[in-house]
Amino acid sequence: MSKHLRPRYPFTTIFLFFSAALMIFPFVWMLLSAFKTPADVYNYPPKWIPSSFKFTNFAEVFKKIPFVRFYANSICLSVVETVLQIWISAMGAFAFAKLDFPLKKKLFAFMQSSLFVPEIVTVIPLFLLAAVAGLVDTYAGLIVAELNCAFTTLLLFSFFQTIPNELVDAAKVDGCGYFRVFLKIVLPNSKTAIGTASLFAFLTHWRSYMWPLIITNNVKMRTLPIGLKYLVTETNSEYQVLMAASLMAIVPVLVVYMFMEKEFVQSITLTGLKT
Amino acid sequence: MKKRVMISIAMLALAITAIPVGAQAKLKVWFAISGDSGEAFKALLEKYKAANPDVALDYSYSGNYADTATKVSAALMSNTAPDVALMAAGPLYTGARNDYFIETKLNDADFNKDDIYPGVWDYAKYNGRICAVPYGISTPVLYYNKAILAKAGLDLKNPPKTWAELLTLAKAAQAKGNVSGSPDFWGFDVTDVAWLFKTMLYQNDNSVISVKGTKISPAFNDDKAVEVATFWKKLIDERIMPVGQHSNAEKKFLSGNLAFLVATSARIARWSKDSTLQIGAIPMPYFKRPSVALGGNVLVILSTDQKTREAAWRLVKFLASKENQTTFALKTGYLPIRKSGLSLPEAKEAVTSNQMYSVAFDQLDTAWSYWHFEQMGTMDQLLAQALDALERNVLSPKAALDKAANELQAEING
Repeated sequence: MSKHLRPRYPFTTIFLFFSAALMIFPFVWMLLSAFKTPADVYNYPPKWIPSSFKFTNFAEVFKKIPFVRFYANSICLSVVETVLQIWISAMGAFAFAKLDFPLKKKLFAFMQSSLFVPEIVTVIPLFLLAAVAGLVDTYAGLIVAELNCAFTTLLLFSFFQTIPNELVDAAKVDGCGYFRVFLKIVLPNSKTAIGTASLFAFLTHWRSYMWPLIITNNVKMRTLPIGLKYLVTETNSEYQVLMAASLMAIVPVLVVYMFMEKEFVQSITLTGLKT
Repeated sequence: MKKRVMISIAMLALAITAIPVGAQAKLKVWFAISGDSGEAFKALLEKYKAANPDVALDYSYSGNYADTATKVSAALMSNTAPDVALMAAGPLYTGARNDYFIETKLNDADFNKDDIYPGVWDYAKYNGRICAVPYGISTPVLYYNKAILAKAGLDLKNPPKTWAELLTLAKAAQAKGNVSGSPDFWGFDVTDVAWLFKTMLYQNDNSVISVKGTKISPAFNDDKAVEVATFWKKLIDERIMPVGQHSNAEKKFLSGNLAFLVATSARIARWSKDSTLQIGAIPMPYFKRPSVALGGNVLVILSTDQKTREAAWRLVKFLASKENQTTFALKTGYLPIRKSGLSLPEAKEAVTSNQMYSVAFDQLDTAWSYWHFEQMGTMDQLLAQALDALERNVLSPKAALDKAANELQAEING
C-alpha cells in the first residue's frame, strides 16, 4: 500500500468504519426489504438479497393507502410548522438574549422545564383545548399544538448570546428599533443556527405521529407516519410493502439533508447534538 | 286578510310536513384494525351505508389498540367520542363508566344473544355485566411444521392430548426432524407467553384472577399455577424451547427451524394463502381439561344520546350478524363468534378445505375469558416478566409468580 493511502489512525478508521456500517445497516435493510417477496421477508435466518426484485411492492402502497394525500399533508404541515416554529423561537430567543423585562429568568426557567414533560402527558389536555376551540380535524389544529418551541428557542438563545451587544447597540444608535435589530442584524448573522434549528424542527414534525392521530379523524387530514401504520395490522403485516412506503417516505428528509448538509455538520459542532 | 293568514298557516304546515320524519342519523365510527382487516371492516360499513341511506356513516382508522385507547380517552373527556368503536379492552370505556346500554339490548329478537359462544361473552364483560359485543376474536392455536414431522417419521393421526405427550413428541421432532440443518433448531416455542400461560392455568383448574364481589385479586400464583410454571421450566431445561427468544418464534417456525408453535388463530388466513408453507394445526394439548384463552377486539357504543345510541345499536347488530361477522372472520383470520356462522357455506368450505380452521373453530367450544379490569395489561406484562425470570433461572417458578402477583395486587390497591 502506498504511503499516502495508508490510514494515519488505523484503529480510529476501523472504529469509524464499523460505526458507519452500524448506522447504515437499517437503511440498507429497508432498501433491500422494499423489493422482497413475502417469503423472503419472513425467512429465518434473514435473507439479505431478495430472491427476485419485486417492484410491485411500490405500486401496492398506492393501492392500499392514499399515499399522495398523506405525503402532501406531511410536506405542507412540516414546512409550515417549521417556518412558524423557527420564527416564534427566534423572536423568543432574541428577547431572552438581548432584552431585559420583568420575570425574564423565571419565564426562561419555565420554558426550559417544559422540555422535561413527555409528549404523551400533554396529549389529552391539549386535545381538550383543541376540542373546545373547534380545532379537531383542521389544519390549524394540526399545526398549533405542534409548535413546540422550547428546544429551538434554547438552541437559538445560546447562539444569539454570542452576537456582541455592541453590534445591537450600534444598530440602535443608527435608529433601529428592536424589531429591525432582530430582522436586520440578528437574523442575518445567525444563518447557521437557524439552519440547524430548522433541521431539528423539520425532522420532528416529519416524524410526528401521536398528535396528528389524536386530532384527526378524517383520512384526508392525515399524515405519512399514520399512513404507514395503515399498512401494519395485528394479524397480517406486509413488511415488504411497509418498507417500500418507508423508502419513499424518507426522500424529503434526504432532500432537506442535501440542501442543508453544511448546516447539519456545523450543528454538531455548535450544539454537540445530532438530529 | 283572514284568507292570507289561512294560506300562510297552510303553507307553514306543508313546510313542516315536508321535513323528512326520519332525518338522517349520523354515526361516527372508529376502528383499531388496519391493513386487510381494516379493509374488511370498512367493506361491511360501506355495505351498511348502501342498505341504509338514511344513516350517514363517518368512519376512520384510529391507530393500533394502544393509540386508539389514548384517542378514545381524550375524546370521551371532550365529548367528541365516536358513537361506535371497534377496539381492544372496550369494556373499560363502557362498563367502567357505568354504561351498560348494550346489556339492555341483548334480548332483541333479531340479535340472538345465545347464538354467540358463552365463553366469548365473558370477553365483553366488566364487573360481570356485558357492556360490549365481542367481534374480532382469536385464540391460541398449536401449529406444526409438516416437513419436520415427516422427516422425524412422526405422524399426527392421534395428536398429543396432554402437554406431557406434546413434550415427548416435540423432543422426537427436534432430535430427528432438522430439515434445514440449522444449529438453531427447536422443538417448541410460543409467540405470546402470557396468553399461553393463562390458557395453561385454566387447563389446570387454576383461574387467572379471583373475583369477590367487585374486588379482583391475582390467582395465578396458587399451587396449581406453580405446577404449570414448573412444566414451563421443564420445556426450557430439556432444551425443547429456547430461552427468552419468543419474539423470534414465528420467524423460526416459518423458516423451518421450529417443529411446533403456539400462535394466534388469526395467522390461519395469512398462512393459508402462502402455498410454500407446509403447516398444519392440532388441538391445543391440556393438563386436566381442554380450554383456550380468548383475545381480540370488541364493539362498543360510546354515544350518550339516546337516539344516536339506538342507531348505533342497529349498526352493531348488523356488523355482528351471522353473515357479516363470519365474512369478517374468514377475511381477516379472526374467528366466527356465532355458532350458526359455522353452518354458512363459506365457513363450511373453509373448514373442509383447511384443516387449521377446523381446529380453531372446534376450540371455541372450550374458549374462556376473564372479565375486563383496569390492570389487565399490567398483568400480562408482569406474567411475561415472571416467565422470563424463570426461564433465565433468575427466580424459581413459585418466587417468579409470587413476585408478579404481589406487584399486580399493589397496582390494584393503587
